[in-house]
Amino acid sequence: MPEFFGALTSRETWALVHGMTLGALFLLAFGGGLASLYSLRASLVTEEGVQERTRRLRLGTTVMAVVAWLTVITGTFIVYPWYRAGVPVGTTDLTDYPKAKLVADAATAAWHNFGMEWKEHIAWMAPFLATAVAFAVAYYGVQLIRRGEIRRAVLVLFVLAFVAAGVAGLYGALITKAAPVA
Amino acid sequence: MQSTDTKPNGPVAAAFIAAAAACFTLGLLVVLNDANADISKALDFSKNYGLGSGVGPLSGKVAVSTIVYVVSWIGLHVAFRGKELPWRNVVIATSVLLGLGFLLTFPPAFELIADTIKGGA
Repeated sequence: MPEFFGALTSRETWALVHGMTLGALFLLAFGGGLASLYSLRASLVTEEGVQERTRRLRLGTTVMAVVAWLTVITGTFIVYPWYRAGVPVGTTDLTDYPKAKLVADAATAAWHNFGMEWKEHIAWMAPFLATAVAFAVAYYGVQLIRRGEIRRAVLVLFVLAFVAAGVAGLYGALITKAAPVA
Repeated sequence: MQSTDTKPNGPVAAAFIAAAAACFTLGLLVVLNDANADISKALDFSKNYGLGSGVGPLSGKVAVSTIVYVVSWIGLHVAFRGKELPWRNVVIATSVLLGLGFLLTFPPAFELIADTIKGGA
């Protein structure tokens, strides 16, 4: 077991799983899915290539949807309660209370009032959109190449799902830097 | 009209509109939660129904949005199954709902709207 595993608390481990592990998987799935979706055009690939890209696209979009759900569920129901925990009366050290720590200082309050308020909501749009994309790809399969208008709409929703997750991920990293859940 | 010999677009239209409806619902609940203390208390599903521990009103916002997603998807899927819909209309409906969803979850926007509601109450 690498030494750093022993150095992480349970909260840090969950934050790592939520933000880094699932986040990295999401990025990988998005990259593969986007490349496959963009190039899924008859003029760009052979029939054999279409079959291969469609398989990769199905895998990429399905993984992205599943990972998006896992990310928001772990974030909302496991990590977020630690972030917003109430401060017991008489507590002066706010290290274990990230939200309270951020809003107590005018210089850092915006990390919560803007950053977390945006992140905690926009993040949930990613699984809704990613699931719709995965369904469309699974439903049409190779036929998607003949439905250009739907392929373009799928591409837009796919990118929007990534943007939603990207905003959430970026603010998650920055807020964790300012006041880690530990 | 279906442009080529492929499956009808109804089921995909249902999935897209349901996802956009869920995003809009989430945005609407974000505004209502900020504008009204009673609604905020009602949305605390972690306290009211034990959905998570210490999650607060976010638990209700995401639970209701997810329910809207699933129910509307099933309903629209049944309604649109086997049908070829005008894709432009699907895109417009999805875009409007999604645009409002993104707008209403953006803090400066939802705070302004919530403050306006509170000011008018």
